[in-house]
Amino acid sequence: MAREECKAMLDALNKTTACYHHLVLTVGGSADSQNLREELQKTRQKARELAVTTGARLTVALRNRGLAAEDRAEFERLWVAFSGCLDILEADMQRALALGAAFPLHTPLRPLVRTGVTGDSSRVAARALSARSLSHQAERDFDVSDLKELEREVLQVGEMINDMEMKVNVPRWTVQAQQTAGAELLSSNSMGASSVGAVSVEEPSRSCNPSKALAATLFSAVLLAAVALALSVVKL
Amino acid sequence: MAASPAPRGGRPRAQRPHLRKMERMVVRMQDPDQGVRTRSQRLLITVIPHAVTGSDVVEWLVRKLCISEEEALHLGSLLAQHGYIYPLREPRSLALRPDETPYRFQTPYFWTSTLWPAAELDYAIYLTKKNIQRQGALVTHEKEHYDQLHKKINHTWDLVVMQAREQLRAAKQRRKGDRLVIACQEQTYWLVNRPPPGVPNVLEQGPERGSNNANQVQMSQSLDFYKREIEWSRKALGRTRVKSSICLEAFLTFSHQRGPHDPILAGCLPSNPWVTDDDAYWAMNAPTVAMPTKLRVERWGFSFRELLDDPMGRAHFMDFLQKEFSAENLSFWEACEELRFGGQAQIPTLVDTVYQQFLAPGAAHWVNIDSRTMERTLEGLHQPHRYVLDDAQLHIYMLMKKDSYPRFMKSDMYQGLLAEAVIPLETKRRVFPFMRKPRLSSPSPALPPTSGEPSAAGSAAGGDEES
Repeated sequence: MAREECKAMLDALNKTTACYHHLVLTVGGSADSQNLREELQKTRQKARELAVTTGARLTVALRNRGLAAEDRAEFERLWVAFSGCLDILEADMQRALALGAAFPLHTPLRPLVRTGVTGDSSRVAARALSARSLSHQAERDFDVSDLKELEREVLQVGEMINDMEMKVNVPRWTVQAQQTAGAELLSSNSMGASSVGAVSVEEPSRSCNPSKALAATLFSAVLLAAVALALSVVKL
Repeated sequence: MAASPAPRGGRPRAQRPHLRKMERMVVRMQDPDQGVRTRSQRLLITVIPHAVTGSDVVEWLVRKLCISEEEALHLGSLLAQHGYIYPLREPRSLALRPDETPYRFQTPYFWTSTLWPAAELDYAIYLTKKNIQRQGALVTHEKEHYDQLHKKINHTWDLVVMQAREQLRAAKQRRKGDRLVIACQEQTYWLVNRPPPGVPNVLEQGPERGSNNANQVQMSQSLDFYKREIEWSRKALGRTRVKSSICLEAFLTFSHQRGPHDPILAGCLPSNPWVTDDDAYWAMNAPTVAMPTKLRVERWGFSFRELLDDPMGRAHFMDFLQKEFSAENLSFWEACEELRFGGQAQIPTLVDTVYQQFLAPGAAHWVNIDSRTMERTLEGLHQPHRYVLDDAQLHIYMLMKKDSYPRFMKSDMYQGLLAEAVIPLETKRRVFPFMRKPRLSSPSPALPPTSGEPSAAGSAAGGDEES
């Protein structure tokens, strides 16, 4: 079905955009390196390919006049999400261009900002490219040649957005999102619990779980002691 | 961030100068030899490098910029308030403390910027991520924002939820230490860009002024750009510049001269109407009043412009000129002002009257203008417009200023006015403050008028009178 296909492609684009955003966060910081720039380039190429195919598919679907009402509503929803995703991608690419130009790697005109992020981002890039792992070594002057290409790609993405807005007219005020406020809490319990543990180290206010666990162990210990005493009394 | 720097069809935004200066300072702090000393932060099992203490930052600023410690502390707290460094122990209060409290530098992506303003969509994604991580326990103002955003950008809410989930999953691919640091960075960014209630917003700026148009970052500029830059630089070299020592001296003399006349700096006699509800001050300083105050008469001596701007001053000057038989100068000047600022339809008739009265040979009040200006003016009168008498007016103005005005200042008439001028007495302070006149407020404009329009107008006027 065209709808499921479009949804799947949009999910893939969404994943790649999120990973790209995560990678761009560290440009200019202490984790910046030629490898990072190469990962950025690979991720954005993948994102652009996905964007082009998804855009083409959605445009075809929406320009089809003989489409049922709820199908059209569904496609419009996907369209709005798709254009939002593209906007985020374009902004991140522009940001990457500005930051990459401001913090060149080959000659340390500006030392990188010591942000405390030192780890490897290859797993994020691997997730973006849907590969198992990514092992590569970028050349020394990768970032210089990359910046010119990035500039061209930013313009291309801008043109693509303009193009699509011209071809398909989806008024934003008629689109109603499926997700309600707080929908993210319903199906993400497992993910939430593990990341709660990660964040609570820096913020000691989040201390419900450890104190609850402590109360539970104390109570059970007291209960066991009471049971043991009762048994010994009975035995006596 | 979802907003692009050049809004399509709008003026491009620019990075504000003070933010650029702060960025440069932060980059200088990163120098491996000359920068700030960094330590490692130890949290149970993970060790995260690149932590600086508040005292290190202050000491580096004192050393590098050769300033006092107070100033260094102020600069450091500015850096913290704008989010360039953030505290690690109490992440919600962005203030610099000059002791062992640890701080860390913000990543350049999240630097405070007016070039890349924070977008609603990104804030929504951040709040959703926080919602997921905290299982719905958001702070009150964040919960309000979340609900508002849900209403406002409802059409993209699917994208918000999808992006939030994916960004969290992407973050999990990192080491724990990196994940913590990135979460703190994002939290600081949003504390600066969407401050909690009670915290002043550092990014508040007035209406957009197009003084500095920043270009999008381009690796290869066009030929036109460089030509324009060369032209601009050449013009800049030729501009006359006044040394700031001279400007500041002039400013100092101005302030010194005007100091005693300022009602806020030097107090206003009889009393401040806003404090004591007594409007004698305004009554005494009305534009036309029988007895001008001494301060006002003194001001006429500061400059010719002051004298002409004050209606009373102008009237007395006119009397003086009439005694000197040169009153036509001032009349001509006033007629020219009327021409400049009057209605467009009256211009031809006004120009005619001015010509008949002042400029025609043998006119009743002929003004003495030099021949070249007179020729130019008479030529211009054939196509009259608002500014046709500007040259003549300037000539007469300078004549009055150089000639009649100094004589007026030395004249008996002015000295007499100065001697007669009144210094109002300060009103006696009431001994019992609770016996002050009760203040009556005018009727609230929100209440509907009791009966129709006229009575509403009447009651408004009555209310004004009372208060």
